[in-house]
Amino acid sequence: MAQLDIVDVGHAYAPGAEEERWALKPLNLTFESGKTYALVGPSGCGKTTLLNILSGLVRPSRGRVRFDGVDVTALPTKARNIAQVFQFPVIYKSMTVYDNLAFPLQCRRWDKARIDAKVQQVAEALDLHDRLRQPARRLTADDKQLISLGRGLVRDDVAAVLMDEPLTVIDPQLKHSLRRKIREITEQFRPTVIYVTHDQYEAMSFAQELLVMKDGRAVQQGTPEQLFEAPSSTYVGYFIGSPAMNFLTVDHGDGPFALGGRPLSAAWDVPASTLKAGEVQVGVRPEHVRIVTDPGPNTFPGRLKGVSDHGAQRVLEVEIAGQPVRAKTPRDQGVPVGEEVLVHLPRAKVLPYADGELVLRS
Amino acid sequence: MNLNATDLCLTVDGVDHLRNVTATFRPGRLHTVIGRTMAGKTTLLRALAGLQGVDSGSLTRAGEDFLRTPVWRRDTAMVYQQFINYPHLTVFDNVAFPLKRAGLSRDEIRHRVQQSLASVGLTDFGKRKPSQLSGGQQQRVAIARALARRTGILLLDEPLANLDYKLREQLRDEFKALFSDQGDTIVIYTTTEPAEAMMLGDVVLVMHEGRILQTGTPQEVFERPATTTVASIVNDPPMNVFAGRLKGGQVTVAGFQAAHVSAHLAELSDGAYQFGLRATDVSLASSGVDGEVTYVEISGSETFVHVVVGETPFVVQLEGIHDVDLGDLVKLRLRPDRLFAFDERGALVRTPSHDLVSVEGR
Amino acid sequence: MRSRLYPVFKYTVIALWACFVAGPFFWAMTTSFKNANAVQGGPTYIPWAQYEPTLTGWRNIFGGAGGVDVVGPFVNSAIVTVAASAISLALGSLAAYALSRYRFRLGFIKNSDIVFFFVSQRIMPPVVLVIPFFYLLQWGGLLDTIPGLVIVTVALLLPIAVWVMVDFFNGIPREIDEMAMLDGCPPFQTFVRAILPNSLPGLTVAAMFCAVFGWNDFFFAFRLTFTEVQTLPQAVVALNSSIPPWWTLSAAALFGVAPLILLALWVERLLSKGNLSGAVR
Repeated sequence: MAQLDIVDVGHAYAPGAEEERWALKPLNLTFESGKTYALVGPSGCGKTTLLNILSGLVRPSRGRVRFDGVDVTALPTKARNIAQVFQFPVIYKSMTVYDNLAFPLQCRRWDKARIDAKVQQVAEALDLHDRLRQPARRLTADDKQLISLGRGLVRDDVAAVLMDEPLTVIDPQLKHSLRRKIREITEQFRPTVIYVTHDQYEAMSFAQELLVMKDGRAVQQGTPEQLFEAPSSTYVGYFIGSPAMNFLTVDHGDGPFALGGRPLSAAWDVPASTLKAGEVQVGVRPEHVRIVTDPGPNTFPGRLKGVSDHGAQRVLEVEIAGQPVRAKTPRDQGVPVGEEVLVHLPRAKVLPYADGELVLRS
Repeated sequence: MNLNATDLCLTVDGVDHLRNVTATFRPGRLHTVIGRTMAGKTTLLRALAGLQGVDSGSLTRAGEDFLRTPVWRRDTAMVYQQFINYPHLTVFDNVAFPLKRAGLSRDEIRHRVQQSLASVGLTDFGKRKPSQLSGGQQQRVAIARALARRTGILLLDEPLANLDYKLREQLRDEFKALFSDQGDTIVIYTTTEPAEAMMLGDVVLVMHEGRILQTGTPQEVFERPATTTVASIVNDPPMNVFAGRLKGGQVTVAGFQAAHVSAHLAELSDGAYQFGLRATDVSLASSGVDGEVTYVEISGSETFVHVVVGETPFVVQLEGIHDVDLGDLVKLRLRPDRLFAFDERGALVRTPSHDLVSVEGR
Repeated sequence: MRSRLYPVFKYTVIALWACFVAGPFFWAMTTSFKNANAVQGGPTYIPWAQYEPTLTGWRNIFGGAGGVDVVGPFVNSAIVTVAASAISLALGSLAAYALSRYRFRLGFIKNSDIVFFFVSQRIMPPVVLVIPFFYLLQWGGLLDTIPGLVIVTVALLLPIAVWVMVDFFNGIPREIDEMAMLDGCPPFQTFVRAILPNSLPGLTVAAMFCAVFGWNDFFFAFRLTFTEVQTLPQAVVALNSSIPPWWTLSAAALFGVAPLILLALWVERLLSKGNLSGAVR
């Protein structure tokens, strides 16, 4: 397995387009060996372009791609030693499951005993070992996807496994189990995996690190926990988490922020001098918003506008100083009586944003 | 005018799709039908619409034998899981299509189309063709068409199932407002997601293997699930259900002491039971029952940790995103005061809320 | 690495094939503007330089002395083709819709068997059919009449229309039908208002096939009409006497092909605009 480096890589499908309109704006990234990554974002965000640049299907307009320090920018797909799993299963229909898995090794002229041992090992992990003699075309779509993955795993020399929305054609009720299976297999074999999806659940459940993309830019890279706890922009705060992060516009001057005339302290102080005239917001997750009975610091009077029963949790829709805030509360906490409530925003969980970007702790 | 289904049965190729389905659907109410994939939800809607015949049973509305009424006279609109619109018509004409069939005046048609396009946020899209819209927008067109007719019956078959989760979240909120004001229409909405069923439904019908297992308000169904099957269907993740023994004030599960009995179970006689515990009522703690992590999923803002204790699998729901690795050894704390007790055949005996059980639908 | 000569080789092969295909057209084109002397003077291709172009051939086919009148046969062909294509499309799409949407069962015979039955009529050699057709038309007093020829041509075209349209209707989601019914359309209205408007690509392709087969039919017209009714292919072939007037023959042939060329250009435009997406695979 290899480390993949993207150095100042950018791509425009239309030559000569101004940089603002590139499908992928120039960026630097490192994918460490043996880790799993998910590229996630809405369609048109550039994630597939980035994947195609890694696989060699697209030659970037600028920048270099390095596998373990070796420049592969000019190399075609077949010279890059990567394994790919596509949206639609790609298998050799005329072959048995065994031959499908053995084929890449036969092409490399491994000896028979070695091939057999490796195929058995991988088939075991894929749960296909009792169906090795069956024609591959008779398998269901999810098993075919496992074969596609398995063909990558049998090879010892694979630099990385690239997966492009591999669950697209899988029945909804099987998605869950296939996702789990892929995760377990990658835990066992520890390949470098780059997984493209538009589905946040899938990305967060699968990958050790996520790269959130939007409009051709990498918006934030981090573990699921980092993206959840400290979104680098209001977009990530919206995109990751359900319900989305609350954002409240606050007044700012010298000293703490103010919300509806009352002081509001954020997790860290933001000197007024560092803020430009633009809009300043604070972000706080619905999970962290508390309905309390006693006034105190960072506690604001609000109006209860509605309650959504989600089962084990309820989502309370509250309005503070004319701005909507959602609070997620456990069911056994009950629903406050009356419209007037007190809402506490725990200081440590209140993050400052200026012009949509997280203001870092100075 | 209620829609009354009595003992509807349908068997296709030896598989039971509907088994003695009896239900009353009332005007002005939103009925959510919740069940797993293949539970018979879609078949039920198709039978109500007349798109699917039944083997036996009756279906009446205001004294009319609905089974003898052809589809085009049933005063029913339906929204499919796939985004179905007339490809050759513009968005405006799609919504106008049923109104023209109904022989409304031009002005009335224009008024109603504009009104219902506005209600789904597509005011400016009237001139486009469905193929020029995103999936979410196409589904909005289908909903606008269904709403514009103001039919007596409105059926929605998992309308959000094929959308991204952010869009699902957003449309779910919009639906709540949209369907709260449907006058005398009978709305029936199928879903596999408990949160959706709970937050949208005035009445929840729990369906499994062609049968309706329980009917009630969201609160009733969630807090007093008639059987272990209902408990697992209306909770996401499914309620942890495990066989155990109650003896001398202790709950024992497959060799480990799960909990001391709390007050609500104290009156039960010793013996074998099945116990249910929601994922939110199990937590990872520094002391407790030893288990091993088999899988971790992240869903929106929650982390679901799958743990196996001896042979018994548990799901633990943690608020927020947490970094837990597969194979980690953890300790579980089970909340004894939140245990549901079911008899050996799975019927509810006692709920945590200390109520004596009386549940309809069994 | 591929040789740098590869593109040269590739385009040479394509050019040779294009010449082979377009050659006869070019030959007919030049010949139609020649007179007897120019034709006999050996192969010449460049007007004015190698031969003096005349309009003799073209005059002959429009009633000039020593020629034939192709206008009458052209009209006959047009009537037969248009009428037979229209009837075939109308009947064919109704049959195809039924075959696509309803399940028929007659013992072991299923929908797919019925569709194959339609197609199988085109597998049979025409010679087998012509004698029964002859007796049928004779019995109905329709030999040597346009209605008779239209009926026979419908029999030829209907299988094509059914075949193309079944395939096309199968590609339209059934949910569209269901939705139209829920929207208040009884089955026939569903077909007319919801399905047909979505079938234009399929109808276009079916119409094109029908038109081409109908227009080009020589065999049945030759055997089933004699003096009263003559179609264009018959008229062209009738010119082919022992010493054929090549210039007239070429002009008549080009005149007969012209509508098909226009049709081809029109369909090509539809294709390039993507209007037929889904209809051609």
